[in-house]
Amino acid sequence: MRASYARSIVLTGSLIVFVGVWWVIAAAVNNSREIVGPYQTGNAFVSLFTDPPLTRLLAAGLQVTITSILLGFALAVAVGVPIGVLMGRYLLVDIFCDPWVNIWYSIPAIAFVPLAMNWTGISATSSVIIAFLITVFTIIINVYGGVKNVSSSLVDSGLAYGATQSQVMTKIILPATLPNIMVGLRLGISRAIEGVIIAEMVFTVVGLGGLMDDAADNLQLALSGALIVVLALISLALSEVMRYVTRRAVAWKESQAMVRE
Amino acid sequence: MKSPGAVSFSVRLGVFFASLGLFFVLWEVAALSGGNSLILAGPIPVLNALIALLQNHLPRGTLGIQGADAAILQTLVTIVFGFVLACIVGIPLGLIMGRWKKAEMLMDPWLSAAYSIPIVVLIPMLYFAIGADLFAEVFVTFLITVPTIIVNTQHGVRYVSNALAEVGKSYGASESQFIAKIILPASLPDIISGMSIGMGRAILAAVLAEVLMSGNGLGGMMMTFQDVLQTPYMMAVVLLIASMGIVVLQLPKILEHRLSRWRETASLSREMRR
Repeated sequence: MRASYARSIVLTGSLIVFVGVWWVIAAAVNNSREIVGPYQTGNAFVSLFTDPPLTRLLAAGLQVTITSILLGFALAVAVGVPIGVLMGRYLLVDIFCDPWVNIWYSIPAIAFVPLAMNWTGISATSSVIIAFLITVFTIIINVYGGVKNVSSSLVDSGLAYGATQSQVMTKIILPATLPNIMVGLRLGISRAIEGVIIAEMVFTVVGLGGLMDDAADNLQLALSGALIVVLALISLALSEVMRYVTRRAVAWKESQAMVRE
Repeated sequence: MKSPGAVSFSVRLGVFFASLGLFFVLWEVAALSGGNSLILAGPIPVLNALIALLQNHLPRGTLGIQGADAAILQTLVTIVFGFVLACIVGIPLGLIMGRWKKAEMLMDPWLSAAYSIPIVVLIPMLYFAIGADLFAEVFVTFLITVPTIIVNTQHGVRYVSNALAEVGKSYGASESQFIAKIILPASLPDIISGMSIGMGRAILAAVLAEVLMSGNGLGGMMMTFQDVLQTPYMMAVVLLIASMGIVVLQLPKILEHRLSRWRETASLSREMRR
């Protein structure tokens, strides 16, 4: 309880320090074409929600950006988890896929951007493809690592009691791998967010990232700053949701660990 | 039935090269069936373009951009400067955070913010604040790389085995000896893996900064080729950037795999002696 109290003090203090330093730098530079202070940014943030044309822009951008992130992420989960499980379970799949997964995992997100632009144009579809490509391999690697390290005594005892392959999969391997899957999903969502934002910044006409980049190009730095705040809040919210889901999903694992100790 | 360790490295390598051939065939088939080399160029034009770039030949229609060698050099310089700066700042910070609880508490909000908010989002604003010269791009690279270095160092330092720490303490090691002789060597694997991941981040950051800020370097070249519809050249640059990422992320892992085999046998013999 006291630790969390101290933590919230530190958090508030950090926020104050951040805004203060920002304010001082902006006041020292004193040029709204180079940097805008927290006050103007705050004003622009408020006007995003009060000024009807801006609100319409924001709503449209939010919809595109969030849809791209969630769609890319969901596709990556739908493809990545099964492949990871197969790789962890079957040696042949492992040998064949492992180098490719590692290679594609290592490619920087920006390298996918011009390729996706060629395939599906400057569009939200391209953002989804980029988000998918940089998320799926992270998920595969984590799921694969988890399945590979499922204790063989668990699997063997399952088989000894006459479990079928599908029962082994659903009753033993998947529950035992759940913590790794959740780690993969948590890393994955932040990569999906980053991928969509990178894509939108390069495209400049799609989604919130595009809106933000466009505002900066038009020297509306306060608006651009306000949109950065919006994007930051989206990222914080999504990773917070992911953390909550993780905690719920692996709660049984933690309680088990506690008993064992 | 399932014992991954049983498959030797050479078997894996053989299968990989076989599947590499399959990859090129699939790529060629996809390019042919697409029927439009502007959308997806086949492997042979791309490899030709790559060779031309490495010999410093640029295609027609790309006047006014820097030469391929200058672009590659600029990107490499940005990556290396940003990365080294991130290590110089990040490793000590991670060490301090891992060693002292108060420091960790103080810096934790900044670090978790840097981790849950994609810092790339700041690039368009930074462009106006600090310009688009080499310094600006190095700064962006530093900013995107340093959280990774800090977190990995901190993780390594925090989970140094207590048995090691106890031995150091009971033999009266001073704080500096304790850090230099126990903590740093014990957390070295984590620091190195953090540096490897950080290098991957640095490549992303440098290229992204070039795309969004200066329009120079490999990133700028890639987008220029994209604009003038030189798809084979664009894909050659993509291949170059991708292989940089693959080398910095995979090479340390392969080396570590080979080295740790040695380390495992070493630790085994130590156990037996005791």
